[in-house]
Amino acid sequence: MPEELKDKTEPTVSKVMRTPRSLIIEITSRCNLRCRYCYFFNNPAMVYRDLPANEWLTFFDELGSLGVMKVTLAGGEPFIREDLPVLLEGIVRNRMRFSFLSNGGLINDEIAAFMAGTGRCEYVQVSVDGSCAEVHDSCRGQGSFDGAIRGIRTLQRHRIRVAVRVTIHRNNVHDLENIAHFLLDELGLPDFGTNSAGYMGTCCGNADDVLLNIEERKEAMATLLRLTAKYDGRISSNAGPLTDGRMWRRMEEARAQGKPAFHNGGRLTACGCPNNKISVRADGAIVPCNMLAHVELGRINHDSLAEIWQNSPALNQLRNRHSIPLTGFEFCAGCSYIPYCTGNCPGLGYTLTGMVDHPSPDACLRRFLEEGGAIA
Amino acid sequence: MNQTDRPIANPIVVLREEFDDWAVLFNPDTAEAVGTNPVGVAVWKRMDGKRSIEDIAAEIKNSFEDAPDAAFKEIAAFVNRLAENGFVGLELESK
Ligand code: SF4
Ligand code: SF4
Repeated sequence: MPEELKDKTEPTVSKVMRTPRSLIIEITSRCNLRCRYCYFFNNPAMVYRDLPANEWLTFFDELGSLGVMKVTLAGGEPFIREDLPVLLEGIVRNRMRFSFLSNGGLINDEIAAFMAGTGRCEYVQVSVDGSCAEVHDSCRGQGSFDGAIRGIRTLQRHRIRVAVRVTIHRNNVHDLENIAHFLLDELGLPDFGTNSAGYMGTCCGNADDVLLNIEERKEAMATLLRLTAKYDGRISSNAGPLTDGRMWRRMEEARAQGKPAFHNGGRLTACGCPNNKISVRADGAIVPCNMLAHVELGRINHDSLAEIWQNSPALNQLRNRHSIPLTGFEFCAGCSYIPYCTGNCPGLGYTLTGMVDHPSPDACLRRFLEEGGAIA
Repeated sequence: MNQTDRPIANPIVVLREEFDDWAVLFNPDTAEAVGTNPVGVAVWKRMDGKRSIEDIAAEIKNSFEDAPDAAFKEIAAFVNRLAENGFVGLELESK
């Protein structure tokens, strides 16, 4: 439509979208597994209580009225809910699409057929952490590999898009080449994503056995960068060694060549999630992100989501994080990477430092190099 | 589509008025989204199967400042594009 036409009715001025485009909903706090690096369990911020279907259905009606486009159902393990078809019907009725974050083990033909029949399923993300049961089950428990692969095959049979996520930890860092071969060549997936176990929830108690040390981080970065070239972009990431490897390479090049600051560099800039989406915990608390489960903004069916989205001081503070310069942190004093650094994920920053408005030490290039790291 | 045709918005399509000057029409069945501006929104809201494209264009000209003469053509093209993507259907004449 012609941009030059101006509406005579006065619209309200707003910098943030009027309503969130998508939500991540922890539809249950139950899970069939107990993974050694799980961020969800043993998190003091979490309340492990499930809501009845009617509470979710009322909330989905609200989402429909706000024009939300998509919900991602997570948990816990979302397929553990016996009333899942009723919940999906509520989502479909409200003109939304849906996707899942799952361990795959509870997916059967019946639910897959139901999902496929709605025509609204974007994808199901299934976690696969190894090329064989021995590696995968080392952190996720006996039988979980077979369950995940069975789940993937079931989804494939019903032509539902499968998005595999590999979480990298000490027990699978040496298996990455085999994992890529298994997922891309044997299972025939178009691509897969990676991240790494983070210091959250259950992982905090198993950190020494699970989290990558400096040598393993170096190995993971180098291997993933090599594999992305070999598999021509079929391996992706939003966090973890591949993201760090790519980002740190750019930062080091820019610093060495004295390049101008990156867009948003030198300030606490994270993923931008609070501008597009919002999350709900299994007990109905509305939070900015699953990684910031302690920041309660309100409760579903008690507080207006639109009101929270537009006016919550805590949410707006997160959105304005980019106005905080890294030069103000003792942690960053004298660092030559400041113009190219964004401080990274506030969720991990919070679990490691107790402060949301602080750079994440986990993604700190200077610290990585000081501890013996090298850029791949 | 002719100027006497009476387009009707597909009720499954979601209108999201994102910012003051930008909106999205989203078809959840196909995951297709079309970005548009306040004029597009005004057109969308008028596609009720009762107004013809000509009627809609006339109403838009009255509601918006500086509507150029080409407005009708642009509105018709916009409606046609939406129709091609299943966002809009036509109210059939009852005989
Ligand atoms: S990581 Fe996921 S599958 Fe594993 S215990 Fe936690 S919620 Fe369950
Ligand atoms: S100290 Fe770390 S977090 Fe701070 S600017 Fe340097 S690399 Fe970034």
